[in-house]
Amino acid sequence: MRLANALLVFRKDWKEISRNYQVLAPIIFVPLVFTTILPLILVFVPSLVGAPGASFQLVGPMFESLPPEVKAAVAGMGAEETIVYVFALYFFAPFFLIIPIMASSVLASDSFAGEKDRKTLETLLATPLQDGELLLGKMLVSFVPSILVTFASFAVYCLVVDLASVLRFGGKILLPNALWLLFIFGVTPLVALAGIGVTVIISLRVKGYREAQQMSAILIAPILALIFAEVGGAIIFGPLMILLMIGVFTLVNAIVLFLGIKHFQREELLTRGG
Amino acid sequence: MEAIVAHDLTKKFNSFTAVDRLSLEVREGEVFGLLGPNGAGKTTTIRMLACIISPTSGSAQIHGKDIIGEPAAVRGMVGVQTESPSLYERLTATENLEFFAKAYGIRDPGEIRSRTRELLEFFDLWERRCERVAAFSKGMKQKLAIARAIIHDPPVLFLDEPTSGLDPESSKLIRDLIVKLSRMERRTILISTHRLEDAERICNKVGIILRGGLKVSGAPEELRSRIAGEAKVEVRLLGSASDYIRSVEGAPGVSGVDVNGSNLIISTWDPALTTPDIVRRVVEDGGKVLSVRPFLPSLEEAYLKIVEGMRG
Repeated sequence: MRLANALLVFRKDWKEISRNYQVLAPIIFVPLVFTTILPLILVFVPSLVGAPGASFQLVGPMFESLPPEVKAAVAGMGAEETIVYVFALYFFAPFFLIIPIMASSVLASDSFAGEKDRKTLETLLATPLQDGELLLGKMLVSFVPSILVTFASFAVYCLVVDLASVLRFGGKILLPNALWLLFIFGVTPLVALAGIGVTVIISLRVKGYREAQQMSAILIAPILALIFAEVGGAIIFGPLMILLMIGVFTLVNAIVLFLGIKHFQREELLTRGG
Repeated sequence: MEAIVAHDLTKKFNSFTAVDRLSLEVREGEVFGLLGPNGAGKTTTIRMLACIISPTSGSAQIHGKDIIGEPAAVRGMVGVQTESPSLYERLTATENLEFFAKAYGIRDPGEIRSRTRELLEFFDLWERRCERVAAFSKGMKQKLAIARAIIHDPPVLFLDEPTSGLDPESSKLIRDLIVKLSRMERRTILISTHRLEDAERICNKVGIILRGGLKVSGAPEELRSRIAGEAKVEVRLLGSASDYIRSVEGAPGVSGVDVNGSNLIISTWDPALTTPDIVRRVVEDGGKVLSVRPFLPSLEEAYLKIVEGMRG
């Protein structure tokens, strides 16, 4: 397998993706909502209208399950400050799982199943490029932008949160901290890889981009479960949780990538699902 | 030397047999036309020979390289133009050709540039080289797809409906290119087509494929005389033609004579040989000949006869 050939596929797919607004739109707007719009609402609405009692009740169970050192950190804070602190540092974390999984599945759907839609697969498969080179090139074009978008989203999120914290907590900067850095650099790449692995398997069995996208939406379900579990106080975003996620996603990746590589054969791509 | 050899090539998709024990041989420099109705197995045959899909059974070699044992080597030496243009529509014409040049192993940027320019100029696309392919007409896409198929200068070409969607001028350009590639550059070309007039003009050999099997193959003229039957010569006379039946009956090469008003319709296997003798006999018996027209059976007639015969 030649890396130059994989990079050739990567550059070709990247040129296509960068000119496809249907693919770019969700990759730009979803992170924008999670990293800027929602945090801004969280930060500024309580200061404008005051923290409603209901919102404090909402995070009540989560607050109960916070580690003692966090409880100690918010002990002297008022309701508004507590909400901003807890939401910014804990509640929003699972959204950073949605960004890489959404981006990688959109990109992988376009790269793998999209070639079926556009009827370009046959001529690509007629070239001497090997299966491994095609798979690596297409995985790279799904992985690299998703992870860059995730890291960029984290940088923007840090700016927004720190802007609020400087104003609310007397110049204190909340992010980045060690927990979030471990989470962003340790967990999100594994999540992006899992999204790609599942989408590769799905793409082998579907007719085109839309079908692949619809089926890949199932990837969001475990993330939503995490969010609800966190709000319900069943789990808390902490070091143990992050290490657990690294372990689980490493295992999931090993399985889905093994299955994806095993079944990624040119003939399967062309003849199945079509 | 045989450039393409297929022996008992078979492709099954579950219980459906798309290609059934197809055997063919195409010599180097020949243009072989694969004719057949939709769903007959033409595209599947091309896909197998181009190593895009593997056969269920049987074997084939392209310039001696086995399609099962050495698929990468075979892919490198064949150019494929698929049924749809299969171009990256968000890329420009130049970007499409450059990608495929590199994918086929051309590494020298200078060579890629010069080959790209040569092909875009030949197909009259140079002025549009920086435009995205999505903005191209169907004919322009078809021309670019053929340019892509020959970007790496392959010795063997598989063209699936190469003149489909083209205007007469562009069709002629493609036909002339195919003839040039085969006769002057000794490239072997396998064409799948519905356009029998194209096959008749450019193919050295044609094969008719039906329900996955190659039913008959040979030179176009051989097929049309073998299957569609004899040629006819129509002699138009001044006055009644029935007076001259006896003049031509029994002439060498004549197998039958009919009359239609002032026209004598003569059946013959070889109109070039028999027509001068027929005219001489009629004139010697006092006939006034107004015109003489030979009617050769077309490849289309041969094709339809086989297809209808197979359908029962």
